[in-house]
Amino acid sequence: MRTYIYDKTFKGFLSAAALALKTAGPALITSDRGFEADLFTELTETETDPAGAAGLFRRIGARGSSASRRHIWRAFLSEAEGAETALFEYIRLILKKGPAADDMLADDRVKRVHDLSGKTAGEAERFKGFARFKELADKTLYARIEPGHNILPLIAPHFAARLGPFNWVLHDAGRCTAALHTGGKLSYAAVDAVNIRETDNEISLQKLWKQFFKAVAIQERLNPKLQRQFVPLKYRKNLTEFDP
Amino acid sequence: MELEEKISILAESAKYDASCSSSGSGRARRGFTGAAQMSGVCHSWTADGRCVSLLKILMTNSCIYDCAYCVNRRSNDIPRAMLTPDELAGLAFEFYKRNYIEGLFLSSGVIISPDHTMELMLRTVKKLRHELRFAGYIHMKIIPGASRALIDQAGLWADRVSVNIELPSETSLRLLAPGKSRETVMRPMRYLAENIAEARAGRGAAHPAQPYAPAGQSTQLIIGASPESDLTIMKLSEALYDKLGLKRVYYSAFIPTAKDLRLPAIAEPPLLREHRLYQADWLLRFYGFRADELLNEKHPSLDPVFDPKTAWALNNLHFFPLEVNTAQYEELLRTPGIGVTSARRIIRARRTAGLKLEELKKLGVVMKRAAYFVTADGKYAGSKRGNAEDIRVKLLGHEDPNGQLELFSEKQLIKNSLAETVTGQL
Repeated sequence: MRTYIYDKTFKGFLSAAALALKTAGPALITSDRGFEADLFTELTETETDPAGAAGLFRRIGARGSSASRRHIWRAFLSEAEGAETALFEYIRLILKKGPAADDMLADDRVKRVHDLSGKTAGEAERFKGFARFKELADKTLYARIEPGHNILPLIAPHFAARLGPFNWVLHDAGRCTAALHTGGKLSYAAVDAVNIRETDNEISLQKLWKQFFKAVAIQERLNPKLQRQFVPLKYRKNLTEFDP
Repeated sequence: MELEEKISILAESAKYDASCSSSGSGRARRGFTGAAQMSGVCHSWTADGRCVSLLKILMTNSCIYDCAYCVNRRSNDIPRAMLTPDELAGLAFEFYKRNYIEGLFLSSGVIISPDHTMELMLRTVKKLRHELRFAGYIHMKIIPGASRALIDQAGLWADRVSVNIELPSETSLRLLAPGKSRETVMRPMRYLAENIAEARAGRGAAHPAQPYAPAGQSTQLIIGASPESDLTIMKLSEALYDKLGLKRVYYSAFIPTAKDLRLPAIAEPPLLREHRLYQADWLLRFYGFRADELLNEKHPSLDPVFDPKTAWALNNLHFFPLEVNTAQYEELLRTPGIGVTSARRIIRARRTAGLKLEELKKLGVVMKRAAYFVTADGKYAGSKRGNAEDIRVKLLGHEDPNGQLELFSEKQLIKNSLAETVTGQL
C-alpha cells in the first residue's frame, strides 16, 4: 500500500493528498513517523508544498462546494485515527463526482468524513459554552480547555467577536497551543505549561458563580445521569462550577 | 445581607421559570462586549439536567401577590432579598466576561406596583446596554398589569420578552392567582405581539425600524397544578403560536412548595406528562401537526406509553407504509423513528441513488420504530404487516407468554425517552 508521511499541518496533508492523487489506487496518509512499514509498503515522505496544497483546496471548492471544504477542514481537525486516509478517499470522490458526492450520505466514504466533521463541529459548539475565563491581575482573561479534537481554530473567532474589547488567552492545555487576542488581533502560539495566580476579586466571583449554579437546581427533579449526558465527566476538570 | 446570600435566595426563587434559551438573536457590535449567536449557547447543566445559558435571577423575591402555586407568594414565610440595578448589571457583565453565561434573564416579584417593578428592571437592562455596552443576550420578563409605555420600552433593549400565563384557563387563574386576571396577563402579550410584528415588517425597508425583541415572545404553563387536560393545554399553545406568533411555550411540571387546599396534593411532579407535552409541542412546531390530530374530546390525554407521534401513527395505520424513495418530506416527518434530520438526509441521499433498507440506519433513522411504517424499494422490514395491536406489542418489546403487556413504571418510561430528549428528534 502506498503510504505518505506528512508533517501534521493541514497544508502538509493537502500536499501529501495532491501527490497521492497523481497515481490511481488506494493510499494511506499519516503523520506518524514511527509508522510500521511492512514488505509491501511504499513509503514516501512528502514535503509541504504551499502552492500545491492551495491548488488542491481550490480545485476541491470549485469541483465540489464550500461545504465540502468545510467538511474536510473539520474532519482533519478531528485528529482521529485514520482521518487523513478517509479524507483522501473523500477528496478523490469529490473530484470525480462533484457536489453530488456530498449527497451520497449512505456511502461509507462520505459518511465517515461527515461524521468526523460533525464530531469536531459538535465539540467546538460545546466548548463555546464550556470555556471558562479567569481575570488575571492585569485584566487579561485566561481560559484553559482540554478538548478531544483540535477545535481551537474553530472557536477562537467566536471569542474574538464577543470579547472584542478584551485581551484574552484560550489555552489548549493538551496540545500546548493557545489562541491569543491582544489589541484586537487574533494569533496562535505554542504555549508550555502555564502558572496563573488568581486575584481575590476573581476568587470571589467564582464563588458567586458556584453559589448561583447550586441554587438553580430543582431538588425534586435531580437527575445526575442526564447531567452526565450533557456534561461528561472528562470536561468537568476545567469547569468552575464543578470545582469543589 | 451578603451578595452571596442574596444571589442564592434570588436564583433559587427564579428556578421554576423553565425558559433557558439564548437563541433567536444574532448580533455583534464593534466596541461592545458580547455577541449573540442565533442558535444560542448552552454553558452548563444543573443537577436536574436542565441547561444553564443565562443568569436567571429575580430582582427581588418580595411580592405583593399571593398566587397559590408560587414559592414567592406574599403569605409564604421565606427570606426575602433584593438586588439593585447596579448589582444586577455588574454581576451579569462579570459572569459574561468569564463565559459563564450568554446573558441575563431578569424576572422579579412585584414590589409596590407592576410599573414600579418594571421601571427598576428597565433601569438594570439599560445600564447593561448603555453604560456597560453589553451586546449579549437579555431575556426580560414583563410584569402583568404593566403600562403600555413600559412594555414598549422593554423590547428595545431585550432580545426576548415573556409573560407567564402559568394557569391554562381563566377559572384556574381566578382560583389560584387572585391578584391577576386573564386580561392583565393577555393584554401585555397582545402588545408585545403587535410590537414584534411591526418591527419585523419594518426590517429591510429603506429606513429599518428599530429592532424590537428580535428573539420573540415566549410564555410558560404550569402542568398539574390545575385540572385542565392535555387537549386544553395543546389547543391553548396552538392558538398562542397561530394568533400571537409566540416563539415558545414552556411547560413546567407543578412542584408543590407548600400545603394549600386549592392545589392538588401530589407525591411527585408530573415529569412524564411534561415530557409528553414537550413532544406534542415539537410536533406542532416542527412536524406540521395540528392539535386536533393528536387529541380530541374522546381522547383528551397524551398516551403515557408511546410518544405522541407513534401514538398518532398507530391510530392512523392507513397512512402507512410509506415508500422512502418517493414519499414527500411532510409524510416522512410523520413516521415514527424518522426525525427532521433523518427526513432531510433521506431526501438528500435518494437524489443520487435509490435507498435500500439497510442504508436507512446509516442515515440516522431509528429502525426499531420505523421498520413497521416504511418500505424501501417496495421491501418491508417486518415479516408480516400486522395490525395496530401487533405493532404496539412489538414496539414495546415486551410480551409474556400469556400475551399480556408488561406495565411500565413511570421512571422506566422517562428513562426510555431520555435518548429522544438529548437529540430533540421525534
